[in-house]
Amino acid sequence: MPTLTLKTLKEYRRAIIGWTVGMCAFLGMYISIYASMKDSPDILSRSALAKYPGALRDLMGGMLDIGTGVGYLQAIAYQMLGPLLLVMCAAILGNRAIAAPEQSGTLELTLTLPIDRKQLVLQRWVGLFLGLLTIAVITLLVILAAQSGAGMGVPVGHVLAAHTGLFLVALFFGTVALAVGAAVGRRQTALTVVGVWAVAGYVVETLGRNADWISWARWLSPFHYFLDGRPLYAGWPVGDYLVLAGATAVLLLTAVLAFDRRDVGV
Amino acid sequence: MTDMTAVVETEGLTKFYGKRRGLEDLTLAIQPGEVFGYLGPNGAGKTTTIRLLLDVIRPTSGRMSVLGADPRDPKVRARIGYLPGELELEGKEKARDYLTFLADVRGGVSRGRIDELAERLEADLSVAMGKLSKGNKQKVGLIQAFMHDPELLILDEPTSGLDPLVQQEFLAMVREVRTTGRTVLMSSHVLAEVEHVSDRVGIVRAGRLVAVEDVAALRERAVRKVEFHFDAPVPREAFEGLPGLRDLVVEGASVRCTIDGRPDPLIKAAAKFTTVHMVSAEPDLEEIFLTYYSDEERHHAHAHA
Repeated sequence: MPTLTLKTLKEYRRAIIGWTVGMCAFLGMYISIYASMKDSPDILSRSALAKYPGALRDLMGGMLDIGTGVGYLQAIAYQMLGPLLLVMCAAILGNRAIAAPEQSGTLELTLTLPIDRKQLVLQRWVGLFLGLLTIAVITLLVILAAQSGAGMGVPVGHVLAAHTGLFLVALFFGTVALAVGAAVGRRQTALTVVGVWAVAGYVVETLGRNADWISWARWLSPFHYFLDGRPLYAGWPVGDYLVLAGATAVLLLTAVLAFDRRDVGV
Repeated sequence: MTDMTAVVETEGLTKFYGKRRGLEDLTLAIQPGEVFGYLGPNGAGKTTTIRLLLDVIRPTSGRMSVLGADPRDPKVRARIGYLPGELELEGKEKARDYLTFLADVRGGVSRGRIDELAERLEADLSVAMGKLSKGNKQKVGLIQAFMHDPELLILDEPTSGLDPLVQQEFLAMVREVRTTGRTVLMSSHVLAEVEHVSDRVGIVRAGRLVAVEDVAALRERAVRKVEFHFDAPVPREAFEGLPGLRDLVVEGASVRCTIDGRPDPLIKAAAKFTTVHMVSAEPDLEEIFLTYYSDEERHHAHAHA
């Protein structure tokens, strides 16, 4: 493994452990609640529908089938909170690749090492990729174990497909944070871009489904390529995932080229 | 410039940050085995120059070469040791682990080498970097700059935050580097910090290099304040009119004066009496530089009048 990737992972270690533990606790807890309620799906369904009226319900993906295993898992892990948490984590890690060390001043010495600037961005990104992958793999294992324990009955292949989409969305936004940092070197700018794009993208994708006046913008939302294909119900939306992966690659290339051209730390 | 042996060579090197001038038209050559002191007040353009040489920032115009290569070539950076002016070290990582990382990227350094330098500078490497004091951060910075025995050391304000004993050790390290024929570029805003190890000094002011001087020649021309105390009152005539002598004050048995250049005539004149006590202040090179500064300033003021 390249030295700088290893170093990046060391810097990420605490965050990776923290987010993994947090997400696993959150997912494990909610999935175990399902186990205690699945015998009365009507109550679960009714209480959920009462709690989330109208537009909120749309944001949560409709929730009409929350009484079923697959509907419940979709709502808690892959609809709003799961992606929200992992995207936040990705944005923070992506920010720590370039913008944060540039603003704190620690990037300067790294930059004067015999590492090509393009390599620097790439090796940092591989660190981000591996960090997110670690969190994704562990949370996947926890979901698989918990959902089988709770008797949700979702096919393993579909969970894998949905989880891959979740990972791709998070990787996309992490790469956005890294790319904005590589281009302008400002932590706040990177976080703002990710925050606005993620929130607006999510709203457009979920509410836009039932509102024609914003549905045209759904193609701009990274969540569209994750949620629209309903991977937890239907399996791999290969084309959509390729769009996400391709967009991430374009962003990474932009990051590499932008960072290679500019003054650092001014 | 046609001298291809220079370690650092710049020609018309210019950097603007938007409209703000960072450095303008720097033409400079630093030779192998030379210790070059780069002087100027804060904000004069020292750090801009250094960051250009390390490809942290890119020039607006002009050209430069470092160790015969473009600083953009990452390979050349393995042969440079760099101490940033504002070294930032943070986090829970131990200083030793960070040094090992830097050494690995530069192609490896023996573990003994890091310990040896840590011992010389009395640095504790087992502490998390975020908890290091300013002085200890500077020591870690110096260790990483020296540890791979680079052909060129670029040190931005190396003595800031170091206590006097460690400063002496650092200066000894710089002398050793020069002895082995390697090259040092070090910046400071105080001449006194670099004059004892520098062969030449350059003065940068408001983004422009205003003078490059040989330190030995400077010292030759330097002004010394001298004081003699004799066992009995001495006549003023014995000292009056000696070559290079100024500001003569004779008070009973004591003589005070300022001397330009060699002190020999004064010593010979004093030898006629019985000397009880003598004080000769270190030549104040700073004073000479201040005249450069004020000249430049006057010129500047004139241009804007």
